[in-house]
Amino acid sequence: MREQSEAVGPTRALWVPFALGRPLGSAEDPEFQKDVMRQAFGLLANATEPTIADYEGPMPEEAGPGQWACPLNLGPFVDDTLTGRLLAEVGRLKTWSAQTRAARGRTMFGVSGARPDQIDDVARALASIADADSITDAPAGDVEWAFDMPLLIRHLADDVRTFYHEAIAAQPGSAAPNHDALNDWVFGGTALGDTLQAVADRLTAADDPMASLVRGLVIPEGRYQGGSAF
Amino acid sequence: MVRLNDLHEAEAEHLRARAGAMQRIEPGTWLTPKPLAESTVAIVSTAGLHLRSDAPFTLGALDYRVVPGDADWGDVVLSHISTNFDRSAFQQDPNISFPLERLHEMAAAGEIGAVSPRHYSFMGAMPNPSLFADTGSEVGQMLAADGVDVALLVPV
Repeated sequence: MREQSEAVGPTRALWVPFALGRPLGSAEDPEFQKDVMRQAFGLLANATEPTIADYEGPMPEEAGPGQWACPLNLGPFVDDTLTGRLLAEVGRLKTWSAQTRAARGRTMFGVSGARPDQIDDVARALASIADADSITDAPAGDVEWAFDMPLLIRHLADDVRTFYHEAIAAQPGSAAPNHDALNDWVFGGTALGDTLQAVADRLTAADDPMASLVRGLVIPEGRYQGGSAF
Repeated sequence: MVRLNDLHEAEAEHLRARAGAMQRIEPGTWLTPKPLAESTVAIVSTAGLHLRSDAPFTLGALDYRVVPGDADWGDVVLSHISTNFDRSAFQQDPNISFPLERLHEMAAAGEIGAVSPRHYSFMGAMPNPSLFADTGSEVGQMLAADGVDVALLVPV
């Protein structure tokens, strides 16, 4: 953010008005990205003293809240438990996630330590946290987790969201949803959103500083029904 | 990066407070670089990305991961801890925060001289930049050893 750049005083900086997570502005738009880079590189030739310049150019196209909706009907569920609902939802999204993985030739799922085909294990592990007796014991299963508990919970959540993002990326339609539109969908009635709320409740109930910290890493600010992380 | 007014009120206030507590970094000697078309360029990111074979970043990590100049996106994952920034665009096109392919295109077009054989990734969300003094200096030495003239610092 500009306020932080002004506080630190970098030698040459280009301030861009794009959303967090998108510093080059627009995905799969090489010319847009290179235009941003050219403006930054231009400071090498033009700046004669420490400078924070403003990006000049178009804003990227993205679908905000109300401009994008997931076309899939993810209910109803035969097994109405949290785990049952999440696994059913994941099951319905698998064909779409597979489409994206095939088109991209890759996946970024698996930071938790899971293999690309272990989404069920990750979803089951995430849902199990909601009713877990302990938040320091790793979930049971066949995955060699890359993190200790409770930090693992943050990356279980991230891996499941990565899978969901892959699933919606394959669907035909308009511009890709932005952060707010995605959160409106996830926390607007999906089993994943309900699972994350329940996991956050469990972390809150632990009344432990590390658990509270991880709670703030599981649900984006403004989306937890139990209040702010800050 | 983003306008604070675009963020949730509590997050914006948190980040505004962080900015107020940050210390100014005294500038070094002003350098006029050689032309970009003759310069070797490297990316230094705070997106917390790394190769799948690397150890993931942990809470409060001050260390870094090396990203080869010929990295395959299929080998890259992201273990940044923050949940308050969007990953979907990065998952769609990693160049949106780590523009490695764009650098190669600009080198092929003669806009930059060359792409560094190595690039570097830290985990951001660290309120005190001075904590990176040791590993930052180390990366600076590595960049110099690779003949890098320009470091493109890309926060996420």
